[in-house]
Amino acid sequence: MTVEFDRGKAYVVDRGQPKLRAGQGMIAGLDVVIRHFFSAFTKKLETPDETSGVFTVQYPEERLAMPEAFRNFPILLFDDTTGQELCTSCFQCERICPPQVIHMTQAVDPTTGKPVPAVAEFMIEYDACMSCGLCAEVCPFDAIKMDHDFELATDDRAGMTVRKADLDRPVSYYETIAPTRWAEVKDGAYKKLQGNIKRRSGSIGLSPRAATAPKKAAPAAAKPAAGVAKPVAVKTAMPMAAPGKNMSEEKLARLLSIRAANVAKAGGAAPAEAEEVLATADTDDVAEAPAAVAAARPVSSGGIPFSADNLLGGVPANTTMAEDKVERLKSIRSGNLARRG
Amino acid sequence: MLKTQELQINIGPQHPSTHGVFRLVVTVDGETIVDLKPVFGYLHRNHEQLAEVSTYIQMMPFTDRLDYFNSMANNFGLAIAVEKLAGIEVPQRANYIRVLMAELTRILNHAAAVAFMINDMGAWQTPLAFGMREREKILDLFEMASGARMMCNYFRFGGIVRDLPPDFMPLLNDLMKALPTFFDETERLLRENEILLLRSEGVGILPKEVAASYSVTGPVLRASGVPYDVRKAEPYSVYNELDFDVPIGSVGDIYDRFLVRIEEMRQSYRIVQQVIERLPDTTGGHINPAMASIGKQKALKPPVGDVYGRVETPKGELGFYIVSDGSARPYRYKVRAPSFINLTPIGDMCRGHKVADVVVILGSIDIVLGEVDR
Repeated sequence: MTVEFDRGKAYVVDRGQPKLRAGQGMIAGLDVVIRHFFSAFTKKLETPDETSGVFTVQYPEERLAMPEAFRNFPILLFDDTTGQELCTSCFQCERICPPQVIHMTQAVDPTTGKPVPAVAEFMIEYDACMSCGLCAEVCPFDAIKMDHDFELATDDRAGMTVRKADLDRPVSYYETIAPTRWAEVKDGAYKKLQGNIKRRSGSIGLSPRAATAPKKAAPAAAKPAAGVAKPVAVKTAMPMAAPGKNMSEEKLARLLSIRAANVAKAGGAAPAEAEEVLATADTDDVAEAPAAVAAARPVSSGGIPFSADNLLGGVPANTTMAEDKVERLKSIRSGNLARRG
Repeated sequence: MLKTQELQINIGPQHPSTHGVFRLVVTVDGETIVDLKPVFGYLHRNHEQLAEVSTYIQMMPFTDRLDYFNSMANNFGLAIAVEKLAGIEVPQRANYIRVLMAELTRILNHAAAVAFMINDMGAWQTPLAFGMREREKILDLFEMASGARMMCNYFRFGGIVRDLPPDFMPLLNDLMKALPTFFDETERLLRENEILLLRSEGVGILPKEVAASYSVTGPVLRASGVPYDVRKAEPYSVYNELDFDVPIGSVGDIYDRFLVRIEEMRQSYRIVQQVIERLPDTTGGHINPAMASIGKQKALKPPVGDVYGRVETPKGELGFYIVSDGSARPYRYKVRAPSFINLTPIGDMCRGHKVADVVVILGSIDIVLGEVDR
């Protein structure tokens, strides 16, 4: 039976001839499998125009570059230099959110009692968010954007309701994950922000992250590429034990050395900073330390502080790794870097 | 004469053959199926009711979750229906990108559907790994264009959310080089495999008349020998400008469904080739300028009336019936889900076969429970 269509026809698929079969079909199939088996040892599938070879990557040591368009969960942006949030609490995202997981309250000027274009509290229920990206699309101030960090597995369910302090990310961070997208909207976003800053007063509209950033970190923060000098661990990070309380001497020493190594690696800069951490850790002042510890947990839930270094270079090598594993990791990373150019 | 007694057993509701949560109430006489009744509803998520309290654009991400294998095709269905209702024009370029995505989806779905069916037969994981490998490459393309691998949310009324990124085409061209090898390899791997032939030839036959009376669509109907394809029967988007054939089966058994799917991948490949050729010369942007801002999408209020928009998804005819009362939210929203309707004749297909065949027949229908239960 043939049926003619406009620009095409219907045709009956060929079922093959009935014939004496003594396993030829299975042997033909096995031939395909065996070819793939051997090419798994000899070949690495680098481009998608091949069908054989190994195409797995050694996650988490090895990571594929993420496309700019990738969207996971929404984050809020604030300006690096002034610490002002881009959000004006216009409620557009709250209205469009299909599962209705965005909630916010508008800031009010304490002297006049009038609403200000800034957000007082912002809350997103990450556990019900479906990552559709409509909020980022609808935002007229480019204040809400979709993050690339997908390692958010946690056993802390209440912690999945994320508030402003943990949603805030500096603009420089978003620039590292989506440079062309940010370049498209940058001028408009800053222009609108300048207008809104004029109508804010005092600490209204200041990001809690920018506000609590230690003074001594200011010079580093001014450098846009470095982001916040002290990357604060995202909220989903496990609570860290304060060092020195119930820890044995050697464990404490090891912890401190890990922190020092990671601070040196993450900051790329200051050994002085590492010393600071060491010093503060000794005096039980752990306010800044969790980030460093979180960095020491490469695969832990969301414990990776955001910084350009982490995004490009992968997680820092754990110092407890076996020597040969560290070597291999290094070679994989250098290979990755070379490939990226 | 040995006296036998009929026995009623449940297959499921834990993932029978990993196709999702539903239950098959099987009446068996020894090993032979006397009767079989599917029980759905374990994955009900209130999809249609949600639409009545959501704006039209808010439904777009929810359609991703219908048939989570083919979110692009589902988006297409809703977009077509709403555009028909509101009378929105789609630029040529947007249309071609839509078709490109829909056909890539078809390749992706059939690669996985064939592999899962073979998996159900007992070829544990090896063919599945081959199918998944090609699927993965297509998912990478989707991620690049839309931002998500499976829940794409890529279509908007009047076009698509964003034009293709610059590094999309080179990767697609690479993929196009690999696909013919994959089709041939899959055929060589399985087509003449004796075990597959034994398990599939003459098993689960769905005669033409029965299939039509159950209003089955998609590859299952075509394998029964009915050359019905929405892309040909009621061409939407730019399918009337593209050359492709409709493969049909002659017997209507599992083997025909397997072969039809492989042939459909080849036809989709042909369509993608034509789209790649024509895409640089297309006119218009990625979205109709009148609908370009999300604000317009959000405030969309179609005129009073009703519409039935349908597309050919990899599983069959996906239809959206929408009644508008002129407000921003649909008054009634109904989904004609191909998986659901294709699953209903499973009793007729299984009767007289053995218990082990049920799983293979189920695999050959290619269902996604997200769409069956909605």
